[in-house]
Amino acid sequence: MAAVQRLWFRLRGDRAGMAGLVIVAVFALLALGVWFGLLGQEWAAANGGRWEPAGPQYWFGTNVLGQDIFERSLYSVRTAFEIGLVVALLSTALGAALGALAGWYSHGWIDASVLWLKGVLDSIPFYLFVAAVAFALQGQPWAMHVAMIATFWTGTGRLVRAEVMKLRTREFVLAAEAIGLPDLLILLRHVLPNTLPILLVQASIAFVAAIKTEVILSFLGLGVQHGVSWGLMLAESTQEVLAGHFNNFLAASLMLFALLLGFNLLADALQDAFDPRQATQ
Amino acid sequence: MSSALRTILNGLALILGVTFVSFLLMVWFGPDQTYTLIGKNATAQQIADVRHELGYDQPFLTRYAGFLADLATLDLGTSNASGERVSRMLARTVPVTLALMLPGFLLGNLLGIALGLAAARRRGQWSDRLISGLSVSGMSISFLIIIIALQVLLSTPYGLNLFPVRGWQVSDLPSYLHYVTVPTAALVLVTLGYNTRFYRAVFVEEYGRDHIRTARAFGASPAVIMWRHVLKNSLVPIITRFLFSIPLVVISGSLLIESYFGIPGVGKVTFEAITSGDQPVLKAVVALTAVAFVLIQLVADMLYRVVDPRVA
Amino acid sequence: MAIPVLSVRELSVALRQDRDYTTVVDSISFDLYAGEVLALVGESGCGKTKTAEALLGLVPPSLGRVQSRRLTLGGTNLADLPEAALRRVRGRDLSMVFQEPLTALDPVFRAGQQLAAVFRRHRGLSRAQAREAAIDMLERVGFADAEHVLRSYPHELSGGMRQRVVIAMAMACRPQVLVADEPTTALDVTTQAQVLDQLTRLAGAAQTAILLITHDLGIVAQYCDRALVMEDGRIVEDAPVARLFAGPAHPYTAGLLAAARGVSS
Repeated sequence: MAAVQRLWFRLRGDRAGMAGLVIVAVFALLALGVWFGLLGQEWAAANGGRWEPAGPQYWFGTNVLGQDIFERSLYSVRTAFEIGLVVALLSTALGAALGALAGWYSHGWIDASVLWLKGVLDSIPFYLFVAAVAFALQGQPWAMHVAMIATFWTGTGRLVRAEVMKLRTREFVLAAEAIGLPDLLILLRHVLPNTLPILLVQASIAFVAAIKTEVILSFLGLGVQHGVSWGLMLAESTQEVLAGHFNNFLAASLMLFALLLGFNLLADALQDAFDPRQATQ
Repeated sequence: MSSALRTILNGLALILGVTFVSFLLMVWFGPDQTYTLIGKNATAQQIADVRHELGYDQPFLTRYAGFLADLATLDLGTSNASGERVSRMLARTVPVTLALMLPGFLLGNLLGIALGLAAARRRGQWSDRLISGLSVSGMSISFLIIIIALQVLLSTPYGLNLFPVRGWQVSDLPSYLHYVTVPTAALVLVTLGYNTRFYRAVFVEEYGRDHIRTARAFGASPAVIMWRHVLKNSLVPIITRFLFSIPLVVISGSLLIESYFGIPGVGKVTFEAITSGDQPVLKAVVALTAVAFVLIQLVADMLYRVVDPRVA
Repeated sequence: MAIPVLSVRELSVALRQDRDYTTVVDSISFDLYAGEVLALVGESGCGKTKTAEALLGLVPPSLGRVQSRRLTLGGTNLADLPEAALRRVRGRDLSMVFQEPLTALDPVFRAGQQLAAVFRRHRGLSRAQAREAAIDMLERVGFADAEHVLRSYPHELSGGMRQRVVIAMAMACRPQVLVADEPTTALDVTTQAQVLDQLTRLAGAAQTAILLITHDLGIVAQYCDRALVMEDGRIVEDAPVARLFAGPAHPYTAGLLAAARGVSS
């Protein structure tokens, strides 16, 4: 698509955005490395002594159980991407679907229902909702994902609805309707592809939000149950730092910050690339 | 249909929705408290009795209707966990949460407005880019990281060691400041990035409007433009942001901060109620939340009318 | 030979686009004499508005670069003035009326407040004095019920009314020069005539010179003494209106005239 080429061209000129893209790519490669068993496999092995300082064998030292903090940080990249990708893709897709329906049949009962649902979900304080869902689906590893998807879709939904309402009256849509194409087909093949910019930006934002939420949930004990994540590492570190052991905290914080910064810069650059009027220049 | 009436009706539909979803999650799917009340060696009859008392044996709609009736009549009951009257629990914890969260919330917004304004006014220059860069960084740091870092820096011997690590022994102003500073700092740092980013966008848009060009063309100074024209015209989005972020920041934020710092406010109590399935408390919190939303909506509508002559 | 009240030599405006600059006004020069109505004609995008904005110093460095050899208003070179001094000039000696009346006024202040603000700022009048002056000015631009307009918010006034309020603001201090950027393009035909009549009458009475930017040759014929024709950022013709219509010197002008006649016939 010519639009994608144009986008790439604009993106290339945005230094911060490119930096963000590079950072995300590096982390994505790390995640793949862990997924394919090349990196971070020793995250659970408790071979070292308690709280060993950083050194040639343990690059970030060890935690209270003697586990290699660096290995655990690496494995957490995979955890982060798993959660981030699942939530980002599914919540954006759900938002796109519901938003498109609401926008297409705007001011009808479908629209009213979707808007009402959005209002209700937006009104419920997020962590209360997530805590309740996580608890209700207790034990299920997907509880956290479900809760996030169920609330994150509203942002995308709102934007897609507005965009679809605008596109509805454009000529190419009216032409398609005049030919007699069914509504669903028009939506899928003609209208939704035009919302791609919005979806990309929203997906990046959702990725960031998902990872940040996982951190808090893991702290509250409602997050990742198996494996390790930065959230769990930070939760571990809360007591450790009071005793002067900062490695766990630093490793998790720095990697988390780097990935989030990368994604945020990328999301901003995407937004600027799609809408030149709003460029921060 | 007058706009106030419409707002109220929407509010009711919203309350219904909120209570339904909350009821579904927290009560219907919530923990079964039968065994916590009786213990393990109960007879079948005792179990049936307790279940009947707790209402577990009734059909869904009946329970939901009862839930709504209780809410409407403000019959908040007694906490299953502690035996304390829920209304007294709320009276005890709500003020604490407000005293804890409001300073940070207000400061986070005021600073965000100030920084957003400074950035928008000098759009494209180095000060704008610095502020925008700091905002993005702020948005990339997890709340937990900020809390832990502040704790270490301010409350432990590894840092300044000026403030307490946990707790809330507040009796007068000095002790209040002693306990509220670290949580407030955390809240400000967490929200500042997002706020600045949002307000900057609002102000940039306003600065680009035609009537600002008119003001400049007639000799208005940058100060007059900023205070008289830009700010006043931005009040609608500012009010919207301010009011509608109260739920997220104050309610969700209080859950985290109170859990972490061991402060006995509404958030902590709610979290404990969720994990233990303490239904009376949950009912009360849900009611409070729903009412708060409708109130916020009404206040917002009122304020819009005052601030913008175009709103009928 | 009369001394021009506004004298422009080699004015250029270049707009920023990421890192490059595109020249939109290319070293133009012209004079404006007291009491005359000078038209600046051309198609959309030829640089007319940017010229006007450059005259008032409304092109910020972040948006573009303005250069000139001379930009004198009544003897003072505007390009040499610091920003604070320029602000005193704007609205007092040199004012501007814009193309979009619907968005020109601040929606949260009453029309009267915005008009009075000009009096208070540039003539140092008190609140009460400024109010009186505002009412007087509103009557002069043709409002029958000046008190009502004074109290009204912009959204309660029609486009034509809003434009007349802006004209009142622009003429409040009897400036030496008034720059009118397509002041009636957004209005309907009858209102156009009304507004232009008011404008030229007021300016004539105050001996204010008008730089009237327009793409409408009919307006040029009816209201203007001289005309500058602009093409792609350059002035291609500078002549009294009668001579222009009789026999244009430049092919571009001829083209414009032909197009206009084609439309009206």
